[in-house]
Amino acid sequence: MFPVVSVTLFLPLLGALVLVFLPGLSARAAHLVGLVAAGLTLVASGVVWARGALGGGFSQVEEVPWIPSLGVAYRVGVDGISLPLVLLTTVLFFVALVFSLEITERARSYVALFLLLETASIGVFVALDAIVFYVFFEVTLVGMYFIIADWGYEGRQRAALTFFIYTLLGSLPLLLAILGLYLASQPNTFDMREYIADPPLTGLAAMLALVAMLVTFFVKTPVFPVHTWLPLAHTEAPTAGSVILAGVLLKMGTYGLVRFALQMTPDAFRAAAPYVAILAVFSALYGAFVALAQTDLKRLVAYTSVNHMGYVVLGVAVAAATTDASVAALALDGAVLQMVSHGVVTGVLFLLVGALQDRAHTREMGAFGGLLRAAPVLGWGFILAAFASLGLPALAHFPAEFQIFLGTLRVYPAGVLVVLGIVVTAGLYLRAIVTVFLGELPERWKGTKDLDARELLSIGPLLALTVLIGVAPFLVLGVVHETTRAMGLL
Amino acid sequence: MTIAALTILGPLAAAALILVLRRVAPALAVAGTGVSLAGALLTLVRVAGGARYEAVLPGLPEMPLRLVVEPLTAVLAALVAVVSFFVMVYAVGYTTGEGGKVRFFSVMSLFAAAMQTLVIAGDWVLLLAAWEVIGFASFLLIGFDFERAGVGRAALRAFLYTRSADLGLYVAIFVLISRTGTSEVSATLGAGGAAAVAAGLLLLLAAMGKSAQTPFHGWLLDAMAGPTPVSALLHSATLVAAGAVLLIRAFPLLPPTVLVVAGVAGGLTALVTGLTALAQRDLKRLLAASTASQYGLMLLAVGAGSPVAALFHLLAHAATKSSLFLGAGVFQHAAAGSTDLADLEGVGRAHRRVFLAFVVAGLALVGVPPLSGFFSKDAILAASFASPAAWILAPLALAGTLLTGLYVARALRLLWRGTEEAGSVAGIGWMGAGLAVLAALSATLGLALPLVADLLGAPAPEETLLVGAAGLVAALVGLALGWRIPGFRLLGPLLGPSERGFRTGGGFDGLVARPALSAARALDLFDRGVHAVVFGVARAGLALASASRVADERGLDGVIRALVRGARSLGGRARRLQSGLVHRELLLAAAGGALILVFLAVGVIGL
Repeated sequence: MFPVVSVTLFLPLLGALVLVFLPGLSARAAHLVGLVAAGLTLVASGVVWARGALGGGFSQVEEVPWIPSLGVAYRVGVDGISLPLVLLTTVLFFVALVFSLEITERARSYVALFLLLETASIGVFVALDAIVFYVFFEVTLVGMYFIIADWGYEGRQRAALTFFIYTLLGSLPLLLAILGLYLASQPNTFDMREYIADPPLTGLAAMLALVAMLVTFFVKTPVFPVHTWLPLAHTEAPTAGSVILAGVLLKMGTYGLVRFALQMTPDAFRAAAPYVAILAVFSALYGAFVALAQTDLKRLVAYTSVNHMGYVVLGVAVAAATTDASVAALALDGAVLQMVSHGVVTGVLFLLVGALQDRAHTREMGAFGGLLRAAPVLGWGFILAAFASLGLPALAHFPAEFQIFLGTLRVYPAGVLVVLGIVVTAGLYLRAIVTVFLGELPERWKGTKDLDARELLSIGPLLALTVLIGVAPFLVLGVVHETTRAMGLL
Repeated sequence: MTIAALTILGPLAAAALILVLRRVAPALAVAGTGVSLAGALLTLVRVAGGARYEAVLPGLPEMPLRLVVEPLTAVLAALVAVVSFFVMVYAVGYTTGEGGKVRFFSVMSLFAAAMQTLVIAGDWVLLLAAWEVIGFASFLLIGFDFERAGVGRAALRAFLYTRSADLGLYVAIFVLISRTGTSEVSATLGAGGAAAVAAGLLLLLAAMGKSAQTPFHGWLLDAMAGPTPVSALLHSATLVAAGAVLLIRAFPLLPPTVLVVAGVAGGLTALVTGLTALAQRDLKRLLAASTASQYGLMLLAVGAGSPVAALFHLLAHAATKSSLFLGAGVFQHAAAGSTDLADLEGVGRAHRRVFLAFVVAGLALVGVPPLSGFFSKDAILAASFASPAAWILAPLALAGTLLTGLYVARALRLLWRGTEEAGSVAGIGWMGAGLAVLAALSATLGLALPLVADLLGAPAPEETLLVGAAGLVAALVGLALGWRIPGFRLLGPLLGPSERGFRTGGGFDGLVARPALSAARALDLFDRGVHAVVFGVARAGLALASASRVADERGLDGVIRALVRGARSLGGRARRLQSGLVHRELLLAAAGGALILVFLAVGVIGL
């Protein structure tokens, strides 16, 4: 069978290599190469999606021996959990590159870095070998570091460094956990499928490995109290970087939580689930409240990520805790859909805030007013995305949050307190809408231009997806549920 | 089922077409609600003939979406369709010569479609979705004149108030689904036990928020910032009605304890907002307070164990209140856009035909026979007297009736007396047509109520002569007093609190919004602290290094010196880590990883 997964994985890298080996390329040509590479990748991932994933295990597996003596091999494949995330990744990268067309300063390196980052990101979601996973996981770090440090705003150096130290130190425990899994597996292997089919660690060792994984993935997700790199990195990152950071990189945390913590140390996770759930509830509410206090639009959106990703962690914790397979499937369905929804919706929000910043050179809410009159498309896009983010039905977040909350009530009735979050997010988004877009248009913003073609082409598809997922969540959930249901039966 | 689905698809398609075509918006909107009306009436006829429909649509895994057409939902769908169609007709005239038609008519159509979905939804997920979309549409409509000062805030308050109460619906649904394992509405209503009490109270909370019941009634008065057709629709058949619809539909679930709470909450609302209506200086705010008070009576009816009486009043109120608002809209246009009662003095004399419709609707609301409100209020009174909690519900119901008479008479008096000087009104043809039909319905709908009761198979409460007489006396006394004595004098010491809508402790703002904001700011400060601490841990190495240098310089003994040297080199390495030369550090990390791998390899092969 034609190795579509590997093609999807390495197409962006190929584009990056082209850029590296053609130094004389103009900015326009560089962007063209980027768009072609990302576009082809999008198509390839569409083929992967169309081929689908069946049942509980992995589908479309491609395997090449690498270091046989160590049990390391190039192994990739997808299941119902990774498949939507791969598609999300390719969509967001394509959109981010469209939005970046205005970048002329060292465009070649910029596009090459994005393409490198894309391969790494896809790699994290399709890797079925722990070492391959870890390598891709670390490479995303490097790519994002340079994107923030070289194309960010004023405080970019400090922000990039904070991001780097946080997540580099954060990812070391994962390496230890992987080594633990490796040493305990019989025969020794780095094949993740083996770890999942027959979790090698038990007792204290499993608990230690779980704690190590939780540290890594909580930093990445991020969960209170290791979330503080996020607002800093977001405010300083260039717009497209923020989109990828929030839309794709954060998902690696929660994806790892499912793939590693939940599937490879299930018993330990079940024991730890109440604590994780408490932390998730706290983190979600905390993120919502801190977001409510923000006046900088980008920080506001960044903190709502803490809130939304808290729901994902809660969903995973609920799935880990329950012994009822249907409840576990319900909560996991919600968690996976929430990852996709958050990627799409937060992507739109960052693009719109970026568009606003490009015009006004400020992100302070108080500086604006009445913009709906001057820039109606931008305004309505923001209103739609904000309502999606606060969980309005028929838009992307509602079905996901509904499932997570329902699962939570069935397993931890007290945890349903977390629904308070949807009122707080409603409050903060409405406040932002009223302050920035409603009211009288001040003289200062009279000439504000509406979205141009480049911005529309990047924002429009994501808004369409926001509505599509909200109206027809079964398009995504169908493939997710197939896997989560089979997982519960194991 | 296809025909029943038209009730939703008609306005929904209209909304989409208006957004795409961006022209002939009024015509499309009227056509959309017209299709909805035709579908609803045809469905009602078929259901009366014994037909029942159900459709299952894909939704969430193991929780499909459902539409159910049965007598109750068919009646409700007809109600929504009638009101939305005629309000839309009226709106064509109302918006003559004004901008923003695309936005106005598309959202109005969405509003109608969402409400139709709510009434025929057969599962909780779809019902909740419709419930929330209604809130969204009202946010957009209340904030229609978004450039005017205060409008944005009013829209925000309406959405936040109702969404806070919506949490009740969310959790109630979670409880019901967890308990029964299905999301189908009819299958969950038999839950029983503690789950029924919990879910019932939570549903009541949600209904009270949407139907603007005390203590959540504040937002409704502010919501008057929206255009008048919006108010007409929102008060009679959509947003506010959703609360009552929810309780009527969920009635079989509600255990006696919840019923008593609902009855008392409704009765108190009727009292409190009735007084509020008496003190308002603005016609639309008066009507808004009256809406809250009438929904209070519906809740009271549900609490007294008679959802049929509540449904009667819902129908009668929908016709009367939409007529009153439409009349108010004409007066508003005649008075150069003002709805201040001082500016409206005598306007009724200048527009006699509109005033006649206003009077008919007003008297119907009060319950003057043979107008529609007479029958529905009678049913509510009869139910309240027959209820186990009659000792509290009956007096509250009578007080509500009396107050209705008082404030309606007050409004009529203000509109009639005074000098007549009013301008002409553009678009009066369309407006008059919509108003005339709805006013005629408020007059005659009472005759149809027995048919509705038959269709539902649930008889209206038995009424006694005494109860009927008591109700009539209360209504007429109210009317007479209100016509003779200015409302402000009637209220006496209650005037101040009534005018403010009995807001206590600063209302929602003071009790919820401001504390939440302060908490948010405090947490934000805390968050910066967390960042400092977590980041500080990474700098601990550096601190250790400088501390060790100090110790070193002071010349401690050799052992410590050796320790310090180790610490210093550690610190130095940590400093390099933070020097920004990440490339080198990355190389080190990679080398480290490789080293570990080599170790492992040797170990494995060696073993």
